Amino acid sequence: MELMLLLIVPLAAGLLCFATNSRAGWERLNLGAFAVVAGLAFKVAGDVAAQGTVTALGGFLRADALSALVLALIGFVSLVCSIYAVGYFRRDESAGKITRAQLRRYYVLTPLFVGAMLLVPLADNLGVMWVAIESTTLASVLLVTFYNQKTSFEAGWKYIIIGSVGISLALFGTVFTYYAGVGLPGLETHGGMNWSVLVGVADKLNPQAMRLAFILVLLGYGTKAGLAPMHTWKPDAYAEAPVPAAALLGAGFINCAIYAIMRFDVLAEKCLGHAFPGKLLAGFGVASILVAVPFVLVQRNFRRLLAYSSIDHAGIMVAGLGFGGKLGAMGAALHMLFHGVTKPLMFFCAGNVQQHFGTPYFRKVHGVMHTLPWTGGLFLVATLAVTGTPPFSLFQSEFNILSGALAADRGWMAFLFIGGVVTIFAGFLVHMSKLSLGVPAQPGPRVAECPWKLSAMAIVAVAVIGLGFWLPGPLYELVRQTTQIIGGAP
Amino acid sequence: MNHSVSIEIGSQIIMLLAALMLVLQLLLVVQRMLLINIRLFALQSLMLTAIATVVAYYYNATHVYIVAVLTLVGKVIFLPWLLNRLVRRINIVQEIEPLFNAPTSMLICGGLTLLGYLVARPFTTLHKLGNNTLAIAITLLLTGFFLMINRRKAISQVLALLTIENGVMLAAVALTTYGMPLVVELGIFFDVMVAVMVLGILVYRIRESFDSMDTSKLDQLKG
Repeated sequence: MELMLLLIVPLAAGLLCFATNSRAGWERLNLGAFAVVAGLAFKVAGDVAAQGTVTALGGFLRADALSALVLALIGFVSLVCSIYAVGYFRRDESAGKITRAQLRRYYVLTPLFVGAMLLVPLADNLGVMWVAIESTTLASVLLVTFYNQKTSFEAGWKYIIIGSVGISLALFGTVFTYYAGVGLPGLETHGGMNWSVLVGVADKLNPQAMRLAFILVLLGYGTKAGLAPMHTWKPDAYAEAPVPAAALLGAGFINCAIYAIMRFDVLAEKCLGHAFPGKLLAGFGVASILVAVPFVLVQRNFRRLLAYSSIDHAGIMVAGLGFGGKLGAMGAALHMLFHGVTKPLMFFCAGNVQQHFGTPYFRKVHGVMHTLPWTGGLFLVATLAVTGTPPFSLFQSEFNILSGALAADRGWMAFLFIGGVVTIFAGFLVHMSKLSLGVPAQPGPRVAECPWKLSAMAIVAVAVIGLGFWLPGPLYELVRQTTQIIGGAP
Repeated sequence: MNHSVSIEIGSQIIMLLAALMLVLQLLLVVQRMLLINIRLFALQSLMLTAIATVVAYYYNATHVYIVAVLTLVGKVIFLPWLLNRLVRRINIVQEIEPLFNAPTSMLICGGLTLLGYLVARPFTTLHKLGNNTLAIAITLLLTGFFLMINRRKAISQVLALLTIENGVMLAAVALTTYGMPLVVELGIFFDVMVAVMVLGILVYRIRESFDSMDTSKLDQLKG
């Protein structure tokens, strides 16, 4: 029942927003819907942690620990984004930057976008999962072009064209996976594309077809996750979309794409052994980290910096999956959790700075701490957290992945991994310390910060700092079970 | 009629239709008039419809008939009509000089076809209906990518995307013996329709704000 409600609530909220014609109405509908979604997602996560897999609609919807982890993350991210969005768009509207029609577009499309995201981890059928991922692209492209500038259309065009090409590769890979199982008993019926069915017979799948399928799927969903060299849409889309939508993409949707790769990786590893998929994943992962390095170091625009950070983190997760073993798999699961919780804070702080100073360029903004003390301070906290500085939680997951690499005897990969991650940390610290600390260009008075935006940031900050010291029991249980699923351990 | 003979005939019909899809794809690569390109795409989709119908007939599979009808309504009638309207509205009839000229494009596509056959070789058997069309499906995918890189008008890129999609659907119908589950086919169909509509909105907006539909002018975002 909860699984069905998770899909119905956002859909209904989107349609109701379409029929509503007041800002207060849109805001209330969105806030209410996302509060319900977050509550349901947490409840499902708790149920799965306590009792194992739940299903609905005769197995059409299925949530195991991996799904539940992604669901909980989407629930959390979409709730804080909806709180932040209220303050963000009120300010945009009072500054005369957006019209009523644009506001409506945001509040109608966002629930639909989140609804499609929620279907990704819930669908057992790999074809339906594909449809859900394609739907997220379609629901979000008009959010990327939200501001109707020339640059927004450029970003939107790249986003949908590169995304669609990638996703058609993923569909081809899905078809091949289906083909790999043709002729096996039990697959001739409707369950032939269901992950839960395929995983049971994965060792009997046609290995040649599975190999090709995995390459295609990794390229396809890797494009959506923003792995190098298919990442080029990401900086544009993240920098042009309004901040709440960018945060949904960068902290919410990225998990869906990585989730899809994880599902196929499990099938591929059962069918082909760890070596082949592991090498591919580790290669793409480490390459993404290394590609992000120079762009982080010389970056002039802090919104684009976030996108390169996101490419880096997608790389870290995929690399962890590729190193494999218990450590690598656990690192990947933990990293997904911690990254999803931490990243919204970066986006929110960047949004505050951009709205206050009216520019996304580093050279025009110094000493944020003096005018926006909360934003400036939290921006530093978020920077330290997102680059994996202890005691923040991302240090733990990155350390796990590094240990995984060494345990799998991949010395060179480990070397490149740690080199990339440390250089990115240094680059971030230089940029952000100038932005937050430093002397302001024109000394202005301290400004009162918007309570909506501040409360969204406070919720995320509490979660980020809390997770550095304490991983709640059910969450630990989910991560443990997820590790078993993606690590293939008994 | 003997069953194995009838399967053989079916297989040959499918092969013929798939080959025609490839020929139409190559024509698309060299043809620069947008309205003709749209018609070529419609014809290619019609071949796909025919293939789905043949598969449905030989396997007596109702849901593949539904796929055939959806393809006919969506890709042969609705999308070409939509794209036609868009082309007339933005008033651009011809693609500008592509990256590679026609003979070079032809040579490259020949190479891609060879590559398609190489990749498909391990999966080509004559036992199942239409399994040997996989090479063509992969070639459609590859030449679709080439078309996308080669062309600069936004509308041509949409067409390239649709031909890639045709390739995937050919693989889905032919390779998996009786297509994918209906709910997946319906989902894919719906997504493609919405995608083209969204792309249409974007093309229109790009044309409005850039006074051009040339995607090589979309180059302000860097780094």
